[in-house]
Amino acid sequence: MSEQQMGVTGQGDAGAQDAAGHPAVDREVIEVKVDYLPAPAPFVRKYRDETVIETIRTDAMTFFGVKDFQDRNIHKFFLEFEGRVLENTSQTLEHLLGPHRRSAHFNLIEQVTQGGTSNGRELPAC
Amino acid sequence: MAANYPPVKQWVIAEGIFRQTLDGVRLIAQSEKEAGAFWLGKREAVAEISSLVLPHGRGVEEHRGRWAVSPEVLGAITRWAKPRNLCLLAVAHTHLRGVPPVLSWSDRNLGVRVPGMLAVVIGNGGDDSAHVKWGWYVFEDGDYRQLSQHEIGERIRIDAVREFETWSADANGVQVLRT
Repeated sequence: MSEQQMGVTGQGDAGAQDAAGHPAVDREVIEVKVDYLPAPAPFVRKYRDETVIETIRTDAMTFFGVKDFQDRNIHKFFLEFEGRVLENTSQTLEHLLGPHRRSAHFNLIEQVTQGGTSNGRELPAC
Repeated sequence: MAANYPPVKQWVIAEGIFRQTLDGVRLIAQSEKEAGAFWLGKREAVAEISSLVLPHGRGVEEHRGRWAVSPEVLGAITRWAKPRNLCLLAVAHTHLRGVPPVLSWSDRNLGVRVPGMLAVVIGNGGDDSAHVKWGWYVFEDGDYRQLSQHEIGERIRIDAVREFETWSADANGVQVLRT
């Protein structure tokens, strides 16, 4: 299976300083792979470990050409990691993975809803 | 760089997948509930559908007028499918008796929306066994488009002897039903 290898992205450039003014040169770089069930190839990109999960979720959705949808309901995409749906997308890779991890594998998933509504007419629920 | 969804000119489907799909959804339709199935295979110009997954149980909502598969179930199927190099190629689901086999608003907007994805609506709770009577749609240019009868004949190829596998799935994982 082919993979899309991209450059290091994430929050901040190499050589940037953290909030305390310290050089941010010691951050871990993590290779992230995201699979999406309908897609034949995964999304692969390197991120610094301070990257929040929301950034990866958004980048993966852009790569796979999908987006959240809200109308009467919210149709949202999630990242799953080791069988867990990640609801807290503000946590960082470091927080999720712990220190010294160099790679992480996620799945991009959604809720699939199909229904017997025809021409805008809802069937009565049982 | 964006994901590549190779165009699909034709889907080759084992005849047995139709039968097993109907067997699976009819059982649930007897309780006046909708049900569905995922058809998986390799995403190629001629896409061979080789695996049938019947979601049922924990994480699957089956109601009159609504069938929903939770992210946990999709996650379980993805973890099972990707090491096997399988892609989701089609989602089939039933409409109950009296509801036309056409895509509803929720089918169009809350289902899988990637280029080349097939959405199949099986009418009368699975009692319409002839696949040409079903609603066949393909996602292209941002929406689902219904295949004409001519296109169904041209692009949906039934293979009477092709081998396939049948699996069930819920939030706990994927289990084999038949190989």
